[in-house]
Amino acid sequence: MNWAQVLFNSCVTGSLYLISAVGLTLTYGLSRFPNFAHAEFMALGAYVGYWVTEQLGLGFPFTFIAAFLASGVLGFLSYKGIFQPLAKRGATIIHLMIASIALGFIVRHSIGEIWSWAPLFFRVAWSSFDVGMLRVTDIWLWLILAAVATGVIMHFLLVKTKIGKAIRATSSNPELALASGININRVTLTTWFTGAALAGIAGLFRAAGTRLSPLLGWDILLPTFAVTILGGIGSFYGAIAAAFIIGLIENVGVVILVNLGLSTEYRMAIAFGILILTLLIRPQGLTRMFRGT
Amino acid sequence: MEEALLRIRDITKNFGGLHAVDGVSIDVGTESTVGLVGPNGSGKTTLFNVIFGLHRADHGSVYFNDERIDHLAPHQVFAKGMANAFQLPRLFHQLTTLDNMLLAARNHKGDSLLNSLFLRTGWQHQEEEFAEKAMEILELLELAHLNLSLAGELSGGQRKLLEIGRALMADPVLLLLDEPASGVNPILGRKIFEKIEHFRQKGTSFFIIEHRLEILMEFANWIYVMDKGKIVIDGKPEEVVNSPTFYDVYMGEE
Amino acid sequence: MDPLIYILDLVVFIGIFAIVALSLNLEYGFTGLGNFGKVAFFLIGAYTYALLIETGLSFVLCLIIAALLSGLIGSLISLPALRLREDYLAIVTLAFGEIIRIVVKAEHWIAHGVWGISVPPAIFWQGASFRMIIVTHIGLIFLCLLICFILVQLLTNSPYGRIIRAIREDEIAAATLGKNRLEYKAQVFMMGSAIAGLGGALFAQYIGYIEPYMFLPMLTFTVWIMVLLGGPANNWGVLLGATLVQLFDRGTKMVKDYLFVPVDPNNLQYILLGILIIFILLYRPGGLLKESQVKTKALEKAAQWKRHS
Repeated sequence: MNWAQVLFNSCVTGSLYLISAVGLTLTYGLSRFPNFAHAEFMALGAYVGYWVTEQLGLGFPFTFIAAFLASGVLGFLSYKGIFQPLAKRGATIIHLMIASIALGFIVRHSIGEIWSWAPLFFRVAWSSFDVGMLRVTDIWLWLILAAVATGVIMHFLLVKTKIGKAIRATSSNPELALASGININRVTLTTWFTGAALAGIAGLFRAAGTRLSPLLGWDILLPTFAVTILGGIGSFYGAIAAAFIIGLIENVGVVILVNLGLSTEYRMAIAFGILILTLLIRPQGLTRMFRGT
Repeated sequence: MEEALLRIRDITKNFGGLHAVDGVSIDVGTESTVGLVGPNGSGKTTLFNVIFGLHRADHGSVYFNDERIDHLAPHQVFAKGMANAFQLPRLFHQLTTLDNMLLAARNHKGDSLLNSLFLRTGWQHQEEEFAEKAMEILELLELAHLNLSLAGELSGGQRKLLEIGRALMADPVLLLLDEPASGVNPILGRKIFEKIEHFRQKGTSFFIIEHRLEILMEFANWIYVMDKGKIVIDGKPEEVVNSPTFYDVYMGEE
Repeated sequence: MDPLIYILDLVVFIGIFAIVALSLNLEYGFTGLGNFGKVAFFLIGAYTYALLIETGLSFVLCLIIAALLSGLIGSLISLPALRLREDYLAIVTLAFGEIIRIVVKAEHWIAHGVWGISVPPAIFWQGASFRMIIVTHIGLIFLCLLICFILVQLLTNSPYGRIIRAIREDEIAAATLGKNRLEYKAQVFMMGSAIAGLGGALFAQYIGYIEPYMFLPMLTFTVWIMVLLGGPANNWGVLLGATLVQLFDRGTKMVKDYLFVPVDPNNLQYILLGILIIFILLYRPGGLLKESQVKTKALEKAAQWKRHS
């Protein structure tokens, strides 16, 4: 039992979930509905990154910026063009969820149309090296670094900047925020842009480490929801904790599954199980533990 | 002296640190109209919610017909013989006025799954009876011409009347009314209370939250005054209104 | 391919999905339950039928048991799930659907996992032509559809139907009028699951072979579109919705065989569908057909009164 490897893998999984879930938890908390198109925010980032790297031949910094911007813009336009108008017309949570599913169709199949449904791969060869018992691939190190960066930058944003404080205020008490003169519209658009942009980065990493397919967002969507809910919807810090908790449980779980002779198909079921249990037992997730701020 | 129909004993309900209802005890007798007055935020509506099982009391008990009901769910409280009308009408907007009324009918055979599918003649007959009864009440409230209109299409005043009409349809022993005359013009308000008196004489008891004291003076047998979650004074309407405590409560509001 | 076969195939799928859509309409359209795990019960019905028919039981019994088992599992799920608010209910049911699919995929001993399981048709005429076979399927499926339709219509045009609409609109108000909302919601969920299971069983015996990849969340979403498009709380609307969506779905496949289109019609179909849904939600959220009202003898009495006044 290579515990070091399991721990490392947990950090990798947790990092991916962190970057993906931060955006989802903030938009879910703010706009009060689960956005299933978050999967396509991830996919778009990956494919735009692919286009920039493989088809335009530009280097990695451009890849990241492109993925970040493309998904961010998609998120911004999705809210402005679809979810905001719907909310203004009195759409229910279910209507908004279905709209997000519909948006997902549009984006996913557009991607499939442009790049085909066949799996694609980044041509770059990632190098692996051993650190004692640990087998480390450099893409995963970059991912962990990106997650740390996301955590630090977002923390700084939420705590020190004006817009960040506005986001937190609006998230916890929209009526009070409005009364205090906060521009809710700007807060919401910024959150949707940022959340989607981060999703794009998550998608890019996922694709770089494994492969691209229009369904890549859906592969990690439900675990992302599990993280969001376990951490407490709208809670940035909760999402961070939940991301690594679920990352750990998943990877330890895989080891247990193998030892029990069960199929590793159940890996996905682990996150779903946590999701269902959280909703049934403690729907507010870990939130209350972060009520210090 | 007979035991009161509704006995509220020492009910306390807290929200966070706020004592919304603080050790309240009230009696409502049979065939009487009891008023509950007090400034905004004194806890009157919260008390009603506790009685009807929408909130769980932190302390105290509620007895109805000598049975303890404070732990019951709303639909069970209804089954014991109570009905209520909310201050802001909670009508079913996509259903017709008549449908709203029919939903209050007690012991409708058609309410069960198997009956609705298989024993249709049984409840179709009841539907007709209940429809007649509903129409009678609607006529009394001058809403009969709107029987097939969707509740969402009614005006504010009409919705208020329907809310009360629906509660009356439930044939309750005790009816809790939360500000039945609020938001309607004084003439209509008075009419509402005249109808209430009509039903009281037919055997229904009323426990009413109301702001308009002139009306309660005329129609209530007994009044409780509530302030900051506590009952400060109670008695016959003329006594209460003329007491200095009452003056303090309302003047203190300014 | 024989165009008539395409059309008959289309009719079969309209029938099957109309059944499933009616079940969702009962749950969501009338009772307001946002069930995003429809495919789970479709799957349970399909696999139950597939496994039972091998034991030699008559197909009628297999269909009934498939429906009953789906309904039972629906009941069990509903106990904890229906207390949740709508977005949580949606996510839980979605996750449930995926878990069931993963279990079937992983546990090969249930139904061969990804290798699938073949299912013989319910009714088989020796030496019948391909067309006749499909027509027989249509007969069976539409008979089941008729039964389900009558069932749902009877239920929703009764005091029970009135109550579930009330629960949809305002649970708390319904409770203060004496309605035990959890009981009603659980019953509706059970029936909806049973009907969806029936649809799944019919699907299995028509298509002849089932495997886990046929039961993706996409199926749930397709059924949702049928209900939203046709008009929630209108059973005729749901039939219309099922017809239109299947027409669109299979229609594009037919187009692929007969016309040359520069874009892959499969992708185009979903893109257009997505745009259509967003349009409906923005401009006509009530769907094509309006919500139906409760029709009982009470309505007659009220109309009578109106005439005499």
